[in-house]
Amino acid sequence: MKKMLCRLVPAILIAGLPALAFAEGSVDSTTIMRFQQEAQSPVPDSGTRGLAPLTEFLGVDYSSGNFSVHAYGWGTAQLGDPKPTTDGNETLQGSLNYGYLQYRFDQANARARAGRIFINEGVVNEQVDGASFRTDLPYGFGFSAFGGATVHTINIPHANSDGKGDGIAGGRLNYRLAGKLELGLSGVTESKRPVQPTGTPTVLQGAYGSHRLIGADVWLSPLNMVQLSGHSSYNTQTDRFAEHSYLLQLTPLKNLVLAGSYDHHRDRDYFYSSALFSGTDFLKNLSQESRVLGGSATYTIQKVEISCDFKDYRRDIGEAERFGGELRGYFADNSVRSGFGYHYLRAGSEFAVVPNVPNTSGSFHELRGWAMHETKGYFASLDLIGYLFDKPVENRDSAWEAQGSLGYHLTTDLALSGDLSYGQNPQYRDDFKGLVRLTYNLTAGKGATK
Amino acid sequence: MRRCAHIKNFLALAGLLLAVAACAQFKGLPNLPSSHPEQLAAGPVSCAECHEDQQKGTMKPFAAFNHTQTFIKNHRFYAATDDVLCATCHKTSFCADCHSNLAAMKPSLKYGNRPDRMMPHRGDFLTLHKIEGKLDPASCYRCHGRANNERCVVCHH
Repeated sequence: MKKMLCRLVPAILIAGLPALAFAEGSVDSTTIMRFQQEAQSPVPDSGTRGLAPLTEFLGVDYSSGNFSVHAYGWGTAQLGDPKPTTDGNETLQGSLNYGYLQYRFDQANARARAGRIFINEGVVNEQVDGASFRTDLPYGFGFSAFGGATVHTINIPHANSDGKGDGIAGGRLNYRLAGKLELGLSGVTESKRPVQPTGTPTVLQGAYGSHRLIGADVWLSPLNMVQLSGHSSYNTQTDRFAEHSYLLQLTPLKNLVLAGSYDHHRDRDYFYSSALFSGTDFLKNLSQESRVLGGSATYTIQKVEISCDFKDYRRDIGEAERFGGELRGYFADNSVRSGFGYHYLRAGSEFAVVPNVPNTSGSFHELRGWAMHETKGYFASLDLIGYLFDKPVENRDSAWEAQGSLGYHLTTDLALSGDLSYGQNPQYRDDFKGLVRLTYNLTAGKGATK
Repeated sequence: MRRCAHIKNFLALAGLLLAVAACAQFKGLPNLPSSHPEQLAAGPVSCAECHEDQQKGTMKPFAAFNHTQTFIKNHRFYAATDDVLCATCHKTSFCADCHSNLAAMKPSLKYGNRPDRMMPHRGDFLTLHKIEGKLDPASCYRCHGRANNERCVVCHH
């Protein structure tokens, strides 16, 4: 199936290219050839495997009148030694991220979509093979609905299921008041989760359940300098709140943004419908709760942005804090961009890579510096990132990576670039990777999107 | 009984009139443009630079969508309620670069030439996820929740 999809999707997308000459639309293609070598075993001199995956990302947007077609997908061919996957040694893989026909009505931002679509409405976040509709309604109301078949992913190993039901439906109703307030109610219901046949050996312990959530969201701006956004979701299967997530932003000065955030999750209720998180031993203690309090301040001086942030994590297993800052600059009409950041995570041994063992810690310093320059002809970038561990991880005090990229615009639409990166970390003593990238972005008609 | 029937008729008539009035109002509800009418500048965008004080009807002020670091890090709140406005400037593939059921590679690898973009899992995340995952598993779930990503299930099952 995957092999067929891998060949079919690019073929369909490429077949539509000539039509672009006569209508509005765009084609975005990125072809990436990676080169890397992986050790097959942690035992020294046990052999390496040369990997050379060739990946094509292809997106097509084409519109004629009120109708439009949108599709985006990728396919990978493994040109080196085959890489083992959970489905076996596959040399071809692919995925259609989305592909739908859209009709855009002349009023009320109304639109109807059919095909493979992403739904992101209120507390609902789904990929669906089906149809959706949304519209603004008079008097500040709005409405959206969707329904169809669930897009299944790979099965959990040693189970004959990905944990999802086969059908899914949901929607959102919202009310807006004069650019000051928006209130929304949303929900999703999926058909009953698959049950493993009795006697089948499986890693799924039956601790997960059907995907059914309702939620409310709010956006409130009583004054221009104040914004409150957030949502709460309620799991109707466990009869408890799963998530509260809120953000308060204050803009006391034009160039100053202060923000405070509050996130509260109950693991049992939030992860309930995930076979991976809830059905396996991925999260060993699902009775936990998480509370994360955050704060940040960002000040912009002309083309320089300075920000500092703080987060306080509270879980049943322990507490941790992260703080740091970032400096970003945009110069020469945005053609030169650079940044530097530092963060420190203070976390005890309960958060360590191997937790609750003497002389371990989850604490580390993170440093990152980057710069890029883009002209009509060439573009180049350099990115350095390093982590300094308070206590060694796998006998290493640090992990770091340096990545450089150099490219050239062959034409306005076509660019060729190459990346090289080298790093050392607890996983790999020497991590040397490279890739060649060919990018083609053709836009026909008026307007601009990116 | 007769009084009850009158009330029902009255409510039906009122409902019909409300529906007709609502339909008549639809023509007064404008569309946002399907794409931004002018070329967009490179780098992060400040909507209010050009769209100052252009808030109309029930629309949120454009300044609310200025792409500050706070907005970029918390864009999920806006994407979940204002995707029609997002779509004016961004193709859906802009979201799919990171948010997909099945990913071909880390977004930061696909866009290795764009260190300025916010991309998850830069550097040695293979090591770091063992710390970050214990610290805030909900942050993993937002993208990986029910995707059963192949690389996750190799170890986590």
